[in-house]
Amino acid sequence: MKLPRGRLDKSRVVTDPRDTLADVLDRELTGYAVFESQETLLLDGEGRGVITFTDGVPVLTYHTGTDRGGPPALADLAIPGPYHVSLYTLDAADLESAHEATDLRVPPGMPAERLGGDPALADSTRRAAPDERLSATDDDAAAAEDGTTEQSAVEAFLDDAEKIEAIKQQARSEARERAQQWEF
Amino acid sequence: MVEVFAVASGKGGTGKTTSTVALGMALSDRYDVTVVDADTGMANLLFHAGLSDAETTLHDVLADDAPVEAATYDRFGLTVVPCGTSLDGFRNADPDRLRDVIAALAEDTDIILLDSPPALDSRTAVLPIVLADRIVVVLQPTIPAISDGLKVQEYATTYDTDVAGLLFNKVRESESIEQVSEKTERYFDGPTLAAVPESERAREARRAGRPLLAHAPECEAATAYRVAAESLTVRDGTAADAADRFQSAVIPESL
Repeated sequence: MKLPRGRLDKSRVVTDPRDTLADVLDRELTGYAVFESQETLLLDGEGRGVITFTDGVPVLTYHTGTDRGGPPALADLAIPGPYHVSLYTLDAADLESAHEATDLRVPPGMPAERLGGDPALADSTRRAAPDERLSATDDDAAAAEDGTTEQSAVEAFLDDAEKIEAIKQQARSEARERAQQWEF
Repeated sequence: MVEVFAVASGKGGTGKTTSTVALGMALSDRYDVTVVDADTGMANLLFHAGLSDAETTLHDVLADDAPVEAATYDRFGLTVVPCGTSLDGFRNADPDRLRDVIAALAEDTDIILLDSPPALDSRTAVLPIVLADRIVVVLQPTIPAISDGLKVQEYATTYDTDVAGLLFNKVRESESIEQVSEKTERYFDGPTLAAVPESERAREARRAGRPLLAHAPECEAATAYRVAAESLTVRDGTAADAADRFQSAVIPESL
């Protein structure tokens, strides 16, 4: 995915990507966000996830580590934070050609569901989306354009035993390290 | 007997405080229950228990300005220890005193529920999990909530705290919770205690400053919390055991 650089709006570490998505929606930002997980030891933890927005509503997603776009890129990004997030603003015209890549598209509410874990934020995002972005299936909060329901996305995550073991292992080593730091 | 549970989630917004109070009220049919707001940086138990004007709170106790008895209130069949919301209160509080507070409360109750911070990023946030005998993990059936819940479990078990069970909350009808909970259980050390449906009643109760089980005791969500309470087997421990636990090193030697 090629994007003009744009103007850096914010750059910070967030523990919950939900906050970034809510902020972008609230401010109706047009541009893109780059998410970089701090948990680099995890599977798929290498690389960055990019989400583009028009008026605060997500349009495309892409993951540089796995070279996947659309809903699979969100699955690649769905690992525990914290994330380093950089937000860039762009003029809508600058995003036009990038937004022609329909294979990278995600339904408007999907990042809030899968990255933010916040169905209510997903509802608000869908309400803010233009009508042409809401397919008949996406109207039903449970279904997405690629036929993957939120539920099957959660189940697919739970079927990935290797990824979950990596999350657990990372948490255990972090907990041991911090026990010393915190002098428990 | 006394057993201390930390009600925890890695992520905010899962309805942890609502769940803590609801579980407490459901358990109070059988046990003497004390609920403590251990989220000292972002307290909100007081708003759920109609205690927003409480004069003395856990902050005062942790600042050594008041004895713990002065910060306990009898509400809705529970003993409630609310925490204040001021920044000064938080600044002056010594989180390490929480250990003594729990040891003191343990002498006079069957179950202590600690409403824990939805984070693992500081010593203060993790302390309630370290101090508890077991955790109840509150999850929404979403990828981030489950992965953050896994982190909470691994922190807890690393610090020698067991898992009592999982509580799915804010479950929407479109979510086939049976399959998700069955798959989730494979990775957790405790069973699913209940799946609580998303509930307008819970939002109303919160706005009214009343616990869900007092506001709408017959609603589906309230019923689910009673199921969770039934599923929770409380272990026998003595107040002395609890006090020992809190006064001795909380991290196993193997670390």
